Amino acid sequence: MSKSSKPKLLWLQSITCNGNTQSFFTLPDFIVLMNKFEIIYHPILNSGYTLADVTNKDLKCDILILEGSFKQDGMKKAGQEILATAQKYAKKAKHIITAGSCATFGGIFRQYDKNSISGFCFNDDMINENYNLFRKKLISIPGCPAHPRWIGSVLSMILTHRAIPLDDLHRPLEIYGYNAHSGCPRSEYFEWKIDSKNYGYKEGCLFYEYGCQAPYTHANCNKILWNEVSSKTRAGTPCFGCTEPSFPKKDLWHTPSLMGIPASMPVGIPRRAYLTLAGIAKSFSIKRLNEPIIKYKK
Amino acid sequence: MKIKQLIEKIEGEAELEFDFQNGLVNDVNIIFPLYRGIEDILRDREARDALVIAPRVCGICNHAHLIAGVRAIEDGLKKAGININLTSKAISLREFTLSCEIIQSHIKWIYLVALPQLSILNRIKPLDSYLAKASWSSNTVVKAMSIFSGQWPHNSYAIPGGVSCDPTYEEIIHAETLLDETIRFMEQEFLGINIEAYMKNQELSESKGDIATIWNLINKQNIQSKGKSHNRFIAFGEHEIFKAGEYSQNRTNEIDTSLVKEHEQPNSKAKSVTYNSLCYEVGPLARAMLAKNNRIMSLYNIHKDSNLIRIYARIDEMINLLLYAKKLLANLHPKELSCTLSKFPKGFSTKGIGAVEAARGSLIHETVIRDGKIENYTIITPTQWNLSPGTSKESGIAIEAMKGSSSAEEASFVFRIFDICSACTTH
Repeated sequence: MSKSSKPKLLWLQSITCNGNTQSFFTLPDFIVLMNKFEIIYHPILNSGYTLADVTNKDLKCDILILEGSFKQDGMKKAGQEILATAQKYAKKAKHIITAGSCATFGGIFRQYDKNSISGFCFNDDMINENYNLFRKKLISIPGCPAHPRWIGSVLSMILTHRAIPLDDLHRPLEIYGYNAHSGCPRSEYFEWKIDSKNYGYKEGCLFYEYGCQAPYTHANCNKILWNEVSSKTRAGTPCFGCTEPSFPKKDLWHTPSLMGIPASMPVGIPRRAYLTLAGIAKSFSIKRLNEPIIKYKK
Repeated sequence: MKIKQLIEKIEGEAELEFDFQNGLVNDVNIIFPLYRGIEDILRDREARDALVIAPRVCGICNHAHLIAGVRAIEDGLKKAGININLTSKAISLREFTLSCEIIQSHIKWIYLVALPQLSILNRIKPLDSYLAKASWSSNTVVKAMSIFSGQWPHNSYAIPGGVSCDPTYEEIIHAETLLDETIRFMEQEFLGINIEAYMKNQELSESKGDIATIWNLINKQNIQSKGKSHNRFIAFGEHEIFKAGEYSQNRTNEIDTSLVKEHEQPNSKAKSVTYNSLCYEVGPLARAMLAKNNRIMSLYNIHKDSNLIRIYARIDEMINLLLYAKKLLANLHPKELSCTLSKFPKGFSTKGIGAVEAARGSLIHETVIRDGKIENYTIITPTQWNLSPGTSKESGIAIEAMKGSSSAEEASFVFRIFDICSACTTH
């Protein structure tokens, strides 16, 4: 395939930690996938153009990937406002991918100044002016960072002209239709309402006391796993809800509760249904689930 | 004559303004245009929120920010009368995951910065294999760490009192296997000799590994003994493998954190930092000097703080850390407690400092907690030390190193030898 026949990919960074760039680089087939594109600009890969070329020239671009939150003004790169550069290429691109929660909703860096810093098309879960201009080609891949496979799979779906069903925040349903709780090895403890004794144990659920937001966080982390081996909850860390427009909430290591029951319910579960099942589950004491899984000899 | 250059792909960008006199770099102005406000974002949040927010300073050394953050909270708890004794399991796991993050970062510097940039300096097209090697080997190390930390980038598995994971021997063995694969890669592709031979100081002159390519390309440019700076080194992080201390005028001294001062800069969003009003170098070379690493010290005695020795210190540290990481796993016992703090206290007021060694040097977090909430948070990153503009009496470390370069390209490479992280510099 000649170079020019490949789709042109432009990866632009605004206010970011580079976490999505670093995350995407951990994709096992990163190089194979990137070879299917002509790289106009990328924060790690060699590219045919410099950042000054990107901002000052009018280059061709088929797929625009945005990383980082956007500031109304005063955030220049290579002499130009990065928001204006992003808008320039957003108009040309056939597909716009916002990689990570900053580019999608505003994320961590929006917290510094909510009046002037936002996602590219959303301010938290509210649409902004860019949304009306670009919604037809917008795909949101929130996450802090976005999982490498989320970006990789969406790029491959675009290349192979596959349908990408989206939710109302433009997140692909094949990824965000699940919640981070699906596939958690602690789910048996969730079913029987058995709390973890503390952080640092294999046993017990982190939803009741320890801040876990997995049951109401849209993501398939526990289905496809991170770095091919693990996930936050597998490592005993609560899910912090990083794919949601509300990320980052406050008091992240504590579950807010109403009358001893978590204040937020699992996605789509009515509170009454949850309470009924929880009441029944709690009325039994399951011996196996109250014991350590493994007992090492001294 | 002044030349402006935008240095790209350094976890963001930096603008360098070179002042040339008689064809040589005479002075450099380093400008970072962005400020992201992480310290402000942390204010008024619950103390442990820092363990989630602060890693987001940086996509490549996020884990070091987590460890610095948890150490700051634990130091604060200690000062509030709550003593925490970490189990050896928790200590080893933290050291292991931090080591893995440093290793992956050094791998990326070698294959994504050093080899491609040196090729370009020598007017040679960088090999495609550099990218493939960077990808495979860095990801293998990251995978090993994620078995315990849950993910990388951006995990929060280090918590006051220990770690949140509770690994099995089966998982420890999985991580060991991944490390073995990385070591084999280093032997076959990078060093060109086996790792035991390397540790016994076997000559690398016959090596056909990528390390030989690095030396050849540097020698062709004749920049090996350039890049000299102030010969002053500092490290704040206490680790089994690294020693905290200050090295100047051929002597090692103890450090006193009260002598660290941050300074605002008029034209840049990066604050500079001094120790006892002097500029200090941080990073692998500083650590090797303070740990009295024989391989590096014997070369230092000949070459001083030059380009060659700065690069060699990073490479040597990567190899040392791989062996150290294996040792940590070999001594890890799942039956010990992961976390010894049974309940995080509420409504306490204190102040704590946490220092760690990150890939690029010492990283310091300071938290001031009032009624359980963060009243003030200060982060001092490694790059702030190395890229400081200097004081009224002397230039900063990297600026001094770039002086005397014969072109902007050469000076930019000297700059990149410090493994610049734009993100960290302007947190």
